[in-house]
Amino acid sequence: MTINKYLIEYSINSLLRQKSKNTFIIIIFTFLIALITSIFFISNSIKYELNSTIDKLPDITIQKLHGGRIVDIDNSVIENIITIAGVQSTIGRVWGYYYFENAGVNFSIMGIDNFETQYTKSLEKVIDDSTKTDILDNNFMLVGSGVKKILNNNFFTNSFNFISNDGSFKKVKIGGVFKSDIELQSNDMILVSKELAYQILGVDKSKSTDIVVKVSNPKELNTIVNKIKLLYPNTRIITNDDLKVSYESIFDYKSGLFLTLFIISLFTFFIIIYDKTSGLSSSEKTEIGILKALGWKIDDILKEKFYEGFIISFISYILGISIAFIFVYFLHAPLLRDIFEGYSQLKTTFNLPFVIDFQILTLVFFITIPVYISATIIPSWKTATLDADEVIR
Amino acid sequence: MIKLNNITKIYDINKNNSITAVKDINLHIKDGDLIILKGASGSGKSTILSLIAGLCKPTEGEVIVDEKGISKLPDHFLSLYRRENIGFVFQKYNLIPNLSVKDNIILPLIPDNPDEDILNTKLQEVMERFTISHKKDIIVRNLSGGEQQRVAICRSMINNPKIIIADEPTANLDEKLSLDFIDILKQLKENGKTIIIATHDPLFFNLDFASKTIDIKNGKIIS
Repeated sequence: MTINKYLIEYSINSLLRQKSKNTFIIIIFTFLIALITSIFFISNSIKYELNSTIDKLPDITIQKLHGGRIVDIDNSVIENIITIAGVQSTIGRVWGYYYFENAGVNFSIMGIDNFETQYTKSLEKVIDDSTKTDILDNNFMLVGSGVKKILNNNFFTNSFNFISNDGSFKKVKIGGVFKSDIELQSNDMILVSKELAYQILGVDKSKSTDIVVKVSNPKELNTIVNKIKLLYPNTRIITNDDLKVSYESIFDYKSGLFLTLFIISLFTFFIIIYDKTSGLSSSEKTEIGILKALGWKIDDILKEKFYEGFIISFISYILGISIAFIFVYFLHAPLLRDIFEGYSQLKTTFNLPFVIDFQILTLVFFITIPVYISATIIPSWKTATLDADEVIR
Repeated sequence: MIKLNNITKIYDINKNNSITAVKDINLHIKDGDLIILKGASGSGKSTILSLIAGLCKPTEGEVIVDEKGISKLPDHFLSLYRRENIGFVFQKYNLIPNLSVKDNIILPLIPDNPDEDILNTKLQEVMERFTISHKKDIIVRNLSGGEQQRVAICRSMINNPKIIIADEPTANLDEKLSLDFIDILKQLKENGKTIIIATHDPLFFNLDFASKTIDIKNGKIIS
């Protein structure tokens, strides 16, 4: 099939003849495509972030309950659990939240020991051995990028004064900023030595906040869970799968909000489509009549209208995708980001990981461009099938 | 040869406000004839032109052009028939106002996707013939009535059709421009074109080169 360049030229001229109307359509269409694509990009990035987080979570987390509340667990439990067949390692974690009143945010404080960092690979990636020594031997801390930003804003550039559990101040130097590929996990986190974590969080040194267990064979996970449950009936045992469900339900809640936005966008889009399909202006009808009278066949007219629809929708698609790309990955989705801020006690900002899924781009292409082209062609087809005489009259 | 056999055309036939535009018309036009259809507004002249041009189909009867019945042709073939055989000059010229002279004139050629050289040759030829080539790139809405009419004539001639149809071609022109148009008609007739003109302009009624003048009244031929 040869492309008729005169027909394309005519289509371009035809669009230029109604410059303001078509510019308006491109602006609205671009905005809608940008909004829909941004929603997809954000959802996809969060999904990626959550999946990455879930993959790196411990196999089993053990928490002690007292009156339904989580309380610190005795370190002796660690020694007993390691003896269960199939358990590869157990670590007592000391962690908690520190409320920084000036900024009204919670930081996550995590105590680490030299031999215990293996419970999360992401932390291993960002801490080299020399930094670890600094943290473990001195009053140093490593902070996530979100924490660093907030501390800087509050003029804590080199050190920070924690209010310990006993009410005393504990000055801790900022050793550096760590950044992992999972910002949800690292952004609001402060890494300190376990010793320091005990002091700041007021945890008894014979106890841990919870215990994480790594199993050698994932197939034995349920058996090991049952054994722990038998040994310690007053504990809550959370498996990786439980956490996955919990994360996914949060994601579903967020995606529900996105879905709402998505539906609103589509609704607006279909109003434009409805408006377009509801009919042509009298000058547009006359033009079709003239073209028919001059010997244009119905399919010549439809081809011309196809080019018009394609040019408008493709320009809008390219602009919309580019704007969404810049909006989400360079500007970090202002306004839309507010919807998912607050996740995991997070009020500090985090960057969405760069994930481009061509399926998304294809999906957006197919839910917008063919619909718009059809909306351009259908009313023209209705007119083109009438007698030219009837249309011109 | 164009034959209209027992043609009746009723608009909006199944509606309450149906209009019988022409009734039981018989008309034979030979190749190279110049026919003037005269009559008041609403007499049915334009409908006869539309029927010959295949812009509408008769309710009854048959239109035959060069031994081929065009009344029952599907839309696709009717378009081809118009493209190859008919040059239509409309009353209000029906140009696309925001396109240039050149872009308006080449409209009938576009569906054929012609070679650029062939297109330019045809364009140049027709524009020079009707002395409009100096306005080639001007947007037609900025042209005078006479110039717009010449563009409409160029457009109707670009495909070198056998039949030229003009509906009230001088309705929007002053007397001088009308006489210029009549000169053009004379040239076209000398070139062997079959020309059918619907008009109520008296300038056309006593043309010495007209083959026939036909009076139409209330959708019927009266003389």
